[in-house]
Amino acid sequence: MKRSTMYFRMITASIARRKSRMLVALLAVTVGATILAGLVMVYYDMPRQMGEQFLAYGANMIFVPSAESDGMTIEEIQDAIDEIDAGVESDIEYCYESATINDAPIIVTGCDLGKTYATSPYWQIDGELPSAPGEVLVGLEQAEFFSLKVGDTVPIAYLPPDAAAVANGVNLNGEIEGKVFQDFTVSGILDTGGSEEGYFFISAEDMESLIGAELTYDVAELRVNADAQELQEAADKISDAVPGVSPQLVKRITESQTTVLSKLSALVLLVTIITLALIMITVATTMTAVVTERRREIGLRKALGASDGSIMLEFMGEGLLIGFIGGLLGSFLGFGFAYLVSTNVFNSTITFLPALIPITIIVALAVTALACILPVRNATKVDPALVLKGE
Amino acid sequence: MFLRMIAGVLLRQKGKMFMIAFTIALGASLATAMLAVMFDVGDKVNAELKTYGSNITVVPKEASVVSDLYEVEGASSVPASYLREDELGNVKTIFWAFNIVDFAPFIEAHVNANGQDVTMVGSWYNHHLSLPTGEELDAGVVSMRSWWDVVEGRWLDESVAADAEKVMVGVALADELGVSAGDSLKVSGSELSGSYEIVGVYEAGGDEDGQIYAPLDLVQELSGTEGLISSVEVSALTTPDNDLSRQAAKDPTKLTAAQYETWYCTAYVSSICYQLQEVITDSVAKAKRQVAESEGAILDKTQLLMLLITVLALVGSALGISNLITASVMERSQEIGLLKAIGAHDRAISALLLVEMIIVAIVGGAVGFAVGFGFAQIIGYTVFNSSIALSPMVIPLVVVLVIVVTLAGSIPAIRTVLRLDPAEVLHGR
Repeated sequence: MKRSTMYFRMITASIARRKSRMLVALLAVTVGATILAGLVMVYYDMPRQMGEQFLAYGANMIFVPSAESDGMTIEEIQDAIDEIDAGVESDIEYCYESATINDAPIIVTGCDLGKTYATSPYWQIDGELPSAPGEVLVGLEQAEFFSLKVGDTVPIAYLPPDAAAVANGVNLNGEIEGKVFQDFTVSGILDTGGSEEGYFFISAEDMESLIGAELTYDVAELRVNADAQELQEAADKISDAVPGVSPQLVKRITESQTTVLSKLSALVLLVTIITLALIMITVATTMTAVVTERRREIGLRKALGASDGSIMLEFMGEGLLIGFIGGLLGSFLGFGFAYLVSTNVFNSTITFLPALIPITIIVALAVTALACILPVRNATKVDPALVLKGE
Repeated sequence: MFLRMIAGVLLRQKGKMFMIAFTIALGASLATAMLAVMFDVGDKVNAELKTYGSNITVVPKEASVVSDLYEVEGASSVPASYLREDELGNVKTIFWAFNIVDFAPFIEAHVNANGQDVTMVGSWYNHHLSLPTGEELDAGVVSMRSWWDVVEGRWLDESVAADAEKVMVGVALADELGVSAGDSLKVSGSELSGSYEIVGVYEAGGDEDGQIYAPLDLVQELSGTEGLISSVEVSALTTPDNDLSRQAAKDPTKLTAAQYETWYCTAYVSSICYQLQEVITDSVAKAKRQVAESEGAILDKTQLLMLLITVLALVGSALGISNLITASVMERSQEIGLLKAIGAHDRAISALLLVEMIIVAIVGGAVGFAVGFGFAQIIGYTVFNSSIALSPMVIPLVVVLVIVVTLAGSIPAIRTVLRLDPAEVLHGR
C-alpha cells in the first residue's frame, strides 16, 4: 500500500469513526465560513443596493438648456443620456409655460406623466394621473386657490409670445388676439409638500396642441445610480459632447447620499469585522477542544514510535479536510444568507461573487490549521508516558 | 460534597473552563454589541438622514400661492401674510419637541444689490438657543443646508457681533456682480439701504446660488418687516408613515378618540405638522413628502438589514458556544464513566455538569456583556460620532440567549455520554 493511500485512509477513517466529534468541528467551521461569506457579500453589494433606495429622494442630476439655447429638444436630451455610463434609472422632461385661468396667471407643465411614477414615487395623488387628452393634474395649492375638485372643468388660456408682441390692442370683445383657449378636466389633485403643488400638469401632447408648436424642454430630471464623483464625470462629458444641454448635479441629493451612504457602509463594515473576528475565535476554540481531547491518542502514537512531524501532518490533514468542506459549504450557505437579505430588504437579487469561494475556503483552512497546530504541538511536547497515564 | 466537587472541577481544570468561559464571553459580547446597535440604529440613521434638510415647512396660510404667482409676473413680491417671530420658541414646546432636531426661520425680501434686483434671504446660521427645558441647541442653515459648499470665505457666525451687518452671496450672483469674499455690497431694500461686507460665497446647486443670505434681523430692517418671518423650516425625527397617519393627515377630526390619541402621541410627520400648526398662529405646516417618505423607506431598510445581520451573528455565536460545550462535555467521557463506575446516579452527574456549565456561562456572559457594550460604543463613535444607547431589551435577551445556548449545548452531550457503558469508556474505546 502506498504511503499516500494509507495517509488518506487514516484521515478518513478517523473522521468516520469519530462521527459526532467531527460533526461538531465541521459545524463550527461551516458556521464561521457562512458568516464570513454572507457578511462580506452583503457588505460588497450594500452600496449599490442602498444607492437604489436613495433614488427615492428624487433626481440627482438635471439638464437645463445651455446659455445659448432656449430649450432642449428630446433628441438632445437622449444624446446627453447616452453619454452617461452609469445606469440611468429614470428620466423625465418638463416644459414650463405661463398661462392664465380667468386672467389669473398660472404655470402649466407639460411632461410624459406616465414617467412620474418612476421619477417621483412620493407624489400623492387624490384621483388619477391624466390618461386621456384634455385632462389636467392640479397642484394642491392651485386647487385650493381656484377651488377645483376632481372632475371639474377648467379653461386654460395660453398667449403665444409672438402673439403678445403684436397684440397691443384688445379687440371689441375684450379678448387679446391670438389667445388660445382650451378646456381641461381635472383628473387628480397633487400633494407633495413641495413646489410642485403650485403647478398644473398636462401631457406633452396636450401641451403641444395648447402652444401650437413642437415642444422644447426647460428641464430634464434624471435619477442616475451613481455616486457624486461619477455624476460629475458624466456631467463634464455631456457638457463637451452635447452643446445644447447643460447638466447640473442636484447637490442636496448627491452630497447627502455620499454622507449617509458612507456612514452606512462603515457601519456594516465594522459590524462585519467584529462579527468575523469573534466567530473565527469561537471556531478556533472549538477546533482546539476537539483536538485537545485526543492527547491520549497522540501519546499512544508517540509511544509506538511516530515522529512529531508525522503526527502533526495527520492532524493537519484532518483539520484541513474539515476546513475545506466547511469552507465550501459555508460559502454557499453564505450566499444563501446574502440572497435572503437582498430579496427581503431590497427586493432585488444579489450578484454572486465567485472569488469569494476560494477566499472563504482559504480563511477556513487557515483558521482550522491554526487551531490544530497549538494543541497538537502541546501534546507532542509532553512525555508520552505521562499523557497515557492521564496526568 | 457537591459544592466541593464543582469547585474542584473549576479550579483543577482551569485551562479548559477558561476556554469555555472565553468562548461564551465572545458569543455574549457579539450578541450584546449587535443587539445594542440594532435597537439604536434607527435613531442614528434618522439623525444622519437630516443632512437631506428639513422635512417640514411652516408657511402662513395662502402665502405661498401668492408668492408663486407674483414670481410668474416678475414683479417684486410682497407675501400677503407673515408668521410672527416671537412665536418661534413655541416650536420647541410641542408634544414631540425632543424630536425636533433643528429649525430655522426665513424671511425673503426683494432688494437691489449693486444695481441688480435680487432676492435676499434672512435666516439663522448657528443661532444658539437655551431652552427652558435645559436643552442647548445651535439651530440654523449651517446645519440645515449641510450640502452647501462655501467656496470662498466662511459661513456667517452669529456668535461674532460684527457678523450681524455682513452677508453671504450665492456663487452665480457673485459671478454676475463680479464680487468675492471681503468685498462690500451695496444693498437697498424698501426701507433702508447700506453697504455690507461679504463674508463668504456659497455654492448650493439650486436657486439659492442667485440669492443673498444675511442675518434675519438685517433683512427685516432692510424690508421693514421687523418681528415677521415668511416661513420656518423644521427638521424632525419621524416614524415612518402607516395607514393611520395617512388617514389622519387628511382630516384628524374624523379619527376615533382612541385613534386620535395614538396618532397624536406617535411621531408621525403628520402629527408633528398638526402640533406645529397648533402653536403658530395662522400657519400651515406641510410635510415635504420627498424627504419624509424617502427617509421612512431608508430607515425601514436599514433596520431590516441590521436585524438580519444580527440574527446571523446570534445564530453563529449560539452555534459556536453550544458546539464548544458539546465538545468539552464529550471530552470528559472518561471522568463521567469513572463517576458511574463508583456508583453515581445519572441525575447526580447531570446536575454536576449542568451547574458547572452554568457557573462558567454566567461568568463568561457577564464579561462578554461588558465587552460587547464596549464594542457597541466603538461602532457608535466610529460611525456616528455618538454613543449607542443601551436598550433595556438587550440585557434580558442576552441572559436568555446565554442560558438557552448553554443548556442546548450541554444536555444532548450529557445524554450521549451517560448512555455509554462505563467499562468501555474507562477502557478507552
